[in-house]
Amino acid sequence: MMPSASSPTIRGIKSRRGWIAAALVPALALVSAACGAAAPQTQAGGGASSGSNKLVVWDWHSGDATTKDYYAEARSDFEAKHPGVQVEFVAQPYDQYYTLLGTAIQAGKGPDISMFNGGAQLRDRVSALLPLDDKVGDLKDRLVGWDAFKQASTTYAVPVTLQGFPFYYNKAVYKKAGLDPEKPPKTLAELQTDCAAIKKSGNACFNLGNKEGLGIEFFLSGFAPGVFSPAQYDAWLAGKRDWKSPEVRQIFQLWKQTNDDGWYNKGVNSTAMFNDQFTMFSGGKGGNVIGLISDTAHWKSFDEFLGPDLGVYQAPIANPGTVKSTFLPAEGGIGYGVMKWTKDPDLAVDLVKSLSSTDAEKLFFEKAGAIAADKTIDTKSVDVPAAGQIVSWLPDSKPLLHTALSAKTLDLMHRLSQQLISGDVTVDQVLTQLAASDK
Amino acid sequence: MRERGIGRWIVAIPMCLLALATIYPMLFTLNVAMKSRREYVLNRFSLADHLTAANIADAWNTTGLGRYTFNSVLVTAGSVALLLLLGSMAGYAFSQLTFRGRKWLFLVCLGALMIPFQVIMVPFFRVLGQIHLLDTYLGLILAYTGQFLPFTIFLMTSFYSRIPAEIVEAARVDGSTTLGVYRRIMLPLGRPALLSVGILNALFCWNDVLISLLVMQSEQHRTLMVGVTALRGQYSDNIPLFAGGVLVAALPVIAIYLFFQRQITDGVTAGSTKG
Repeated sequence: MMPSASSPTIRGIKSRRGWIAAALVPALALVSAACGAAAPQTQAGGGASSGSNKLVVWDWHSGDATTKDYYAEARSDFEAKHPGVQVEFVAQPYDQYYTLLGTAIQAGKGPDISMFNGGAQLRDRVSALLPLDDKVGDLKDRLVGWDAFKQASTTYAVPVTLQGFPFYYNKAVYKKAGLDPEKPPKTLAELQTDCAAIKKSGNACFNLGNKEGLGIEFFLSGFAPGVFSPAQYDAWLAGKRDWKSPEVRQIFQLWKQTNDDGWYNKGVNSTAMFNDQFTMFSGGKGGNVIGLISDTAHWKSFDEFLGPDLGVYQAPIANPGTVKSTFLPAEGGIGYGVMKWTKDPDLAVDLVKSLSSTDAEKLFFEKAGAIAADKTIDTKSVDVPAAGQIVSWLPDSKPLLHTALSAKTLDLMHRLSQQLISGDVTVDQVLTQLAASDK
Repeated sequence: MRERGIGRWIVAIPMCLLALATIYPMLFTLNVAMKSRREYVLNRFSLADHLTAANIADAWNTTGLGRYTFNSVLVTAGSVALLLLLGSMAGYAFSQLTFRGRKWLFLVCLGALMIPFQVIMVPFFRVLGQIHLLDTYLGLILAYTGQFLPFTIFLMTSFYSRIPAEIVEAARVDGSTTLGVYRRIMLPLGRPALLSVGILNALFCWNDVLISLLVMQSEQHRTLMVGVTALRGQYSDNIPLFAGGVLVAALPVIAIYLFFQRQITDGVTAGSTKG
């Protein structure tokens, strides 16, 4: 008797076939994966260059549409000088960037060139970087912001952009509050009066998101030019930090007080700075925000939504007795360093030079909105008043205060700033802990 | 017996709220993905003006998500195949075979469950580099296999422990070898568990970012989740585009949940009771 379609024998065979097919699909995938591993792609991996015919760069920008032209220009400049040498830009997720780089550094294997934020993020990793002083002498005069990429007077990266903390404001919000939109506050007292009026008109005076704990960095570096005397400011940068001084206490007290006074949008500790805080400001939901001049949250991104309503001012003077004028806190923003394990350091330095060439930096400024570290760039091509004002303030700027701190102290400050806002610690407890960490 | 009256509502209302809290982020992401950047900035919470898949298409077309999807499918399939093979073999051995050091070896496997990946990241990276498997599909497949094998062994051992020893003994009496018992009895009987474990492992592998980020260092070898995460750049403010990418990455996971929700539940609860 022939077995019927539903007979146990046929079902068994079908079932077995199903199993074989089910097993074959992943097995084939495994085999093809293994083959993939042996393919030439392996040579082209994102790790260190396999020779001097390829350079690998890690960054967090080359995937952005706004920086596409900048990278294209840098690549073509380099490839014209070094025909046959390939350049691979690998855009890493910023959230994981330093974890990934840290692992690569500990394992002694990674990219030839890496992008860095100036200050603590670079200084914590100088052991994996080549000193560049004898290789970039020809860039020293053209570029500014070198200090953020130095450790004990040795240069470890070349600045591409500047970073700074100007106060941006929305003229429409000021007008709605009955204030003169062309007269931003010059003193802390004026700012306090303006904030009361803005709050009364139904808006948040400042937009703040402190979910990541970054708000205090902006607050400290943003307000300090109007609080610290010039001598005290310079001493802080030189490493002589007096955490018990009245001025330091004043800043942390102000951080707490402004929150208690209702300056900010609701729930600052559960609001992300990137991007909710800045999205709120762009969307007209606040009167002021301490923003950036590099990478993101800058004049260009705000101008896109606020247009002529976008204004900018410097830190208000809080202590007129000791502070006669304020300035824009600014320094090197992002830059490129050459990793120690690269096979051809001179070639890598040449690529860094292409990445910081005037033509490339001009595109970074115009298309991505970052204030470039190249002082020869003509910024008049950009018709946004806020950009012009920021550029005009640069010659008088001084470095940011928070980037002088170690990554460990900054982490602690992030946590304590959240606890301070929620009322779990006092200002004195915060200062005691930070002083102990900063020793 | 069905609950009646107020008791029914006491259960139903919190359940509905819980369901809403779970579904809301997905609906929010969908709504954001349908918005223009301007719409999002001006009002994050409003409904999209009109339905458009432009952000999803942009995320797919301009950021290489197609290539990343292929990579994810490849490494997920390869890893799951290897995990099922090794996990079922180990589960069979730990549950049905008697050999010296069995209990200690099983404890070691269980102990591996407790080690977070961050702790072993550096030696892991170094070893993969030394054996030239960094930035290769095989390297990532082996990494996933190593990371998720203890969990697979644990579940398969629990499942196989419920199979009566008499069945195995009968097969032995009929002359079946150890491998024969595995092939003819353990694999067919373990089918429900293998399906559950396979689905769970597929979800783990698909959703992973950290291991993949570490192993696959070049753009062309990136997996989908890493590709989507990289869409943000340094705090990129094009959130609708990012939401479009998130949807692309989440769709296969949602499909797996919808089609295999019973098996997933079974897999999660496997070993919690002894039948």
